[in-house]
Amino acid sequence: MALLWAALNVVIAYLFVTNAFVAKTAIKEGLPAQAALLLGGALIAVFAVALARQSLRILRAPGAAEG
Amino acid sequence: MRWLLVLAGIAIAAAGGYVSLAQAGSGAQPWDPELSDNFVFMRALPFALGLGAVVGLFRAGGWKPAVRRGDQIRRFSPGTVIGHWIATIGFVIALPTGLWQYLGGILSQDVPAPGGQLLLDLFHPVPLYWFYRLHYIGAAFVLFSVANFGAYWWVNRDRALLVPRGEWRLHLTGFALEVPRMFGARLAAPLKLDLTQRLPQPRPFTYYETAFSFPTWTFALALITITGLLKAMRYIYPIPGPVLYWASTLHVAAMLLLVLKVLDHLRYTLARWPLMVAMTRGWVSEGALRGVLDTIARPEPWHPEPTLPASAPAGVAGGSER
Repeated sequence: MALLWAALNVVIAYLFVTNAFVAKTAIKEGLPAQAALLLGGALIAVFAVALARQSLRILRAPGAAEG
Repeated sequence: MRWLLVLAGIAIAAAGGYVSLAQAGSGAQPWDPELSDNFVFMRALPFALGLGAVVGLFRAGGWKPAVRRGDQIRRFSPGTVIGHWIATIGFVIALPTGLWQYLGGILSQDVPAPGGQLLLDLFHPVPLYWFYRLHYIGAAFVLFSVANFGAYWWVNRDRALLVPRGEWRLHLTGFALEVPRMFGARLAAPLKLDLTQRLPQPRPFTYYETAFSFPTWTFALALITITGLLKAMRYIYPIPGPVLYWASTLHVAAMLLLVLKVLDHLRYTLARWPLMVAMTRGWVSEGALRGVLDTIARPEPWHPEPTLPASAPAGVAGGSER
């Protein structure tokens, strides 16, 4: 489930980042909105990848979860 | 007496919800489904908050210190466990539907981003008001939880998740030691934290939880609650345009923060399985919890790089054999 959640968030990150560069965002909302989408998308991607890596680590070695 | 308080709270909330829904479903209202939902949500909000506060007060009255059952110790009360899962359901409903309201707007353009059209087509058969409706239901769960935990902690004076006065430096040091060294060093340098010291065992929450996780949860939840209430209030009270603009902008910012918080929270707790077990059962084995708090949440201090004597030959510092 955590992997699925991470995958959905990667899709969201992709949509954030790609929409930072489309014409409508640039014309209608300007540079701050583009920067916010880009930064937000990048951050979601980083955190989603971190969660996916952690989930895969647990799947590969269930006993390896600390504690 | 406490039971009476809760029963009265439930009865008032149920009556409020019934009247709101009955008005919306009477057929006498002139609004479309989306606007009608906005009104139902706005009218239901005080009842969701009130019921949360009543449940929190009830729980606080029955609060007992941690108890033990053999090797098992109670980390969370049943009320906290249930409250946590109610908040989780709220997030699972409110976050994706809120994101869709935001993404749907930026995807709907002449030439959508690659993949965007696919999503628009996929969700096209679902009327937009359903996303709002689900978002409001999720938001009501979250607001209930905020009021519930706020009242509970306020009355029972449990401050375990707060950094005690004068201990911020200690907790930030523990947090800097828990995160990867690259980030820890960047945090430690400007704050002048000593990462070479041996820290005491954190209790009952990890330094990561007290110095970073809980404060950021509080900030994000407060921001989304205040901005969400302002946005909802516009249906019953004239909110000035600039205030509404900033409330909407900050509501999206808070949503982004919460998306990141959920991802980080899952990453952190999955890696520390006893914490996950504790939030499901309320109980946790003392040994496992001690393992988390003593070894994982109290990482070894950094050892400073040995300084070389002035006469050391060049090349040794980098370990090069050339």
